[in-house]
Amino acid sequence: MTVLGNAKLRSTAELEHMQEELRARHTPSAKCVRVCTGPGCAVKGSPKLYELFCEAVERTGANVEIEAKSVGCHGLCECGPIVLIQPGNIFYQKVEEPDIAEIFRETILGDRVVEKLLYENPATGQKAVTPEEITFYKVQKRIALAGNGLIEPTKITDYIAERGYIALAKVISSMAPEEVVSEVEASGLRGRGGGGFPTARKWHSCREAEGLPKYVICNGDEGDPGAFMDRSIMEGNPHSVIEGMLIGAYAIGSEQGYIYVRNEYPLAVEHLKTAISQAREMGLLGQNILGSAFSFDIRINRGGGAFVCGESTALMASLEGRPGEPRAKYIHTVESGFRGKPTNLNNVETWANIPQIINRGGEWFAGIGTEESKGTKVFSLVGKVKNTGLVEVPMGITLRRIVEEIGGGIAGGKRFKAVQTGGPSGGCIPAEHLDARVDFDELTKLGSMMGSGGMIVMDEDTCMVRVAKYFTNFLQKESCGKCTPCREGLSQMLHILERITKGEGEVGDVEELEGLAELLEGTALCALGKTAANPIMSTIRYFRDEYDAHIKEKRCPAKECRGLFRYEIDPEACTACGICLKNCPADAITGEKKVSHVINQEKCTLCGMCWEKCPFTAVLKV
Amino acid sequence: MHALRDVLGEMPLHRSVKGIRKGKPVPTVTIDGCKVEVEKDATVLDAAKKAGVWIPTLCYHPAVSSDASCRLCMVELDRGDWRQLVTACNYPVRRDIVVYVSSEGAQQARHGVMELLLARAPESQELKALAERMGVKETHYPKVTESQRNCILCGLCVQVCEEIIGQAAIGYAGRGVDRTVAAPFRQPSEDCIGCGACAAICPVGTIKVRIHKDEQEVEISPFKSRAKLLICEECGAPIISMQVSEQALGKVEVNCEEFRERVRLCPKCRRSQTAGRLKAATANKENGERAVNWH
Repeated sequence: MTVLGNAKLRSTAELEHMQEELRARHTPSAKCVRVCTGPGCAVKGSPKLYELFCEAVERTGANVEIEAKSVGCHGLCECGPIVLIQPGNIFYQKVEEPDIAEIFRETILGDRVVEKLLYENPATGQKAVTPEEITFYKVQKRIALAGNGLIEPTKITDYIAERGYIALAKVISSMAPEEVVSEVEASGLRGRGGGGFPTARKWHSCREAEGLPKYVICNGDEGDPGAFMDRSIMEGNPHSVIEGMLIGAYAIGSEQGYIYVRNEYPLAVEHLKTAISQAREMGLLGQNILGSAFSFDIRINRGGGAFVCGESTALMASLEGRPGEPRAKYIHTVESGFRGKPTNLNNVETWANIPQIINRGGEWFAGIGTEESKGTKVFSLVGKVKNTGLVEVPMGITLRRIVEEIGGGIAGGKRFKAVQTGGPSGGCIPAEHLDARVDFDELTKLGSMMGSGGMIVMDEDTCMVRVAKYFTNFLQKESCGKCTPCREGLSQMLHILERITKGEGEVGDVEELEGLAELLEGTALCALGKTAANPIMSTIRYFRDEYDAHIKEKRCPAKECRGLFRYEIDPEACTACGICLKNCPADAITGEKKVSHVINQEKCTLCGMCWEKCPFTAVLKV
Repeated sequence: MHALRDVLGEMPLHRSVKGIRKGKPVPTVTIDGCKVEVEKDATVLDAAKKAGVWIPTLCYHPAVSSDASCRLCMVELDRGDWRQLVTACNYPVRRDIVVYVSSEGAQQARHGVMELLLARAPESQELKALAERMGVKETHYPKVTESQRNCILCGLCVQVCEEIIGQAAIGYAGRGVDRTVAAPFRQPSEDCIGCGACAAICPVGTIKVRIHKDEQEVEISPFKSRAKLLICEECGAPIISMQVSEQALGKVEVNCEEFRERVRLCPKCRRSQTAGRLKAATANKENGERAVNWH
């Protein structure tokens, strides 16, 4: 293993040679335990599981070749912690510490499957042994997430063994920078951060722009509530992002790159740091990469937690050490961006797609997806679905398939109401549009947007006015406050929504909201402000009746807005147990033994304590 | 306190001369049907001024770079089959363009922004006057955000302090609705030289210069920053902040002695002293003697 030391790789041939050796080391029968330590599984204790597996491996001794790996997010976070066993690709879910001994004894040493840890299809009751048998995975197509769950993110050799850095070797050894841009153009890749701007056009403009040095930036400032796509890629497969950036830098003519990542993602920062230093040691970053004339290095910058810093100009301002505030984009950042120099900024997922496009060709990528939106998109599917988690689907798939097949439908037997896409500036799409295809233009037509990939499913118990209020409140808090319409307009809108949800709405409020929305869209400085009214506009568009019920009838149809519904006790269901009576802080409930209880509406403060405490669901919202 | 210009009189200031590039194309801007030619990269606002079309502005000042934060100067840009709202103060003219200032869309946008500003700072007389000129009589929005003494957060004070004075003694604190202009940690700043440029540039009269005669200090309100004052040797009136006079030394083509002589007296006393000398000289001339040195 001469090349596997810390020596720098001096040519593409050396890299290929090393890859062959790494692959040769893995025999098909080699045993491997992959423990997911992505964000979802980690909170359920998977790092501890990994440690225990490592200990068990050590105890076994060297006569059986077993490897334990801590890998990135598998996607099905709902069923975490997830453990995958090779050979056989056996998928164990909801693994707990006491299960480890059994897994080790039965599966690893005995080649038998532990039935109780397998995933069970809730509809058919059938057990699935491998991920391919689970509908959640069957419908997906993984490109950006391909390495997640497969490789150990802190080991560069793992990445290289899985054809890592081969795309880089290919562009350095056999492609001119223009050819790289053409290949990306052929793929039809559009920016995954939300804007959907054609990546190749951006690269081309930056390449053609006057001025040196040129910079490439990776936007890892993922801030949408409930979204963790970029986080999972940075944590689970950091080298794919680095390789993508290297290829981009080669195409554009840049020697310095930056990864701007949220400080709230400590593991992503750690894994990226490790990956960068490993790549440097191997000669994949730094001067004369793989013995060529191409030099490039990457620095990490941690963001302070402002949502607006995900906007490209604000991000660059923050990177320069100034307050993270956007500026007018009449002169594009590819012309004058970071430090006034040509700068190409792409999102984490966009970068992670690049190596695959180079390896398999732009045409292959363009073969997936719809006419205008190519490839796949990663979504974090959260909310009221059965299977929450990280999913990657081909563009053009219907929302219904994502919600019903991958998500497994609505949890708790409730009815589907809407799916919110595009993060806080996105919109809510109702049931009648569930068959809409997921691509950039279709979602925009429906009054929402692709965004960076948040997908929140809501059921019938969700009040859409409150949803609009929640996102408006988020955006009002996260607005930088620089421009008047965003700062003042969002506050005015929030004020109106607060009145409506309190039952103080007036006729004309909806029109007022629409007027403000139009003003914001036309006059706000950056995309945050321009799209900030989307949650309000899309809920007005599809759920106008709910607004009217709040305003005209002072009633909340979903029974979420306090004061716009009453609590009543169903005399049929009430067993006169007295629990509600004891817990009522306002002494508003009367009743005796064997006599069903009654709420005195005049005394009731609508705190909801009785509703929460009743063991027989006899307290109703009406 | 006096403006630096009054104190220094006609002293020549260093000026950077912009290089005139040859062979630059001259784009034409059509504003409400009126055609004007401007230099490449001039703004729509420059073109409008040339065409004699008034566009209301608040955060724009020719001395500092355009931040386009107030969004009051919205105009419509012809994009062929649609019109885009852009800010006139910083939209660069790079080719022949057609813009509409008095179109319904542009007016509606400007009026909407003005109404939001009026709701924020209902007591500012300056804002009311500008609104009236624009044809906005009142705002139908309630006051929902707190503003610091009618501050509309145009940011001119922050820019002038950084770009012209070079002190950056004030900046922004807070985010979104909590955004305010403040000195670091909302404490009096030692970097403030008490020049009063922020007060002079403030379009709504929020920033004030206060003279504390007893302490011989100038205070920039509402930042509470203070600076020592130079006092007129003749009448004891405050002339200018000491730090400003020190800083001006580096920016004015003058020998130190002459400069120090000039800031010794307040402009009023200097004028009366000059008048006295003039009188004496005239008297002397009448007496047939040679004129004396004015200084």
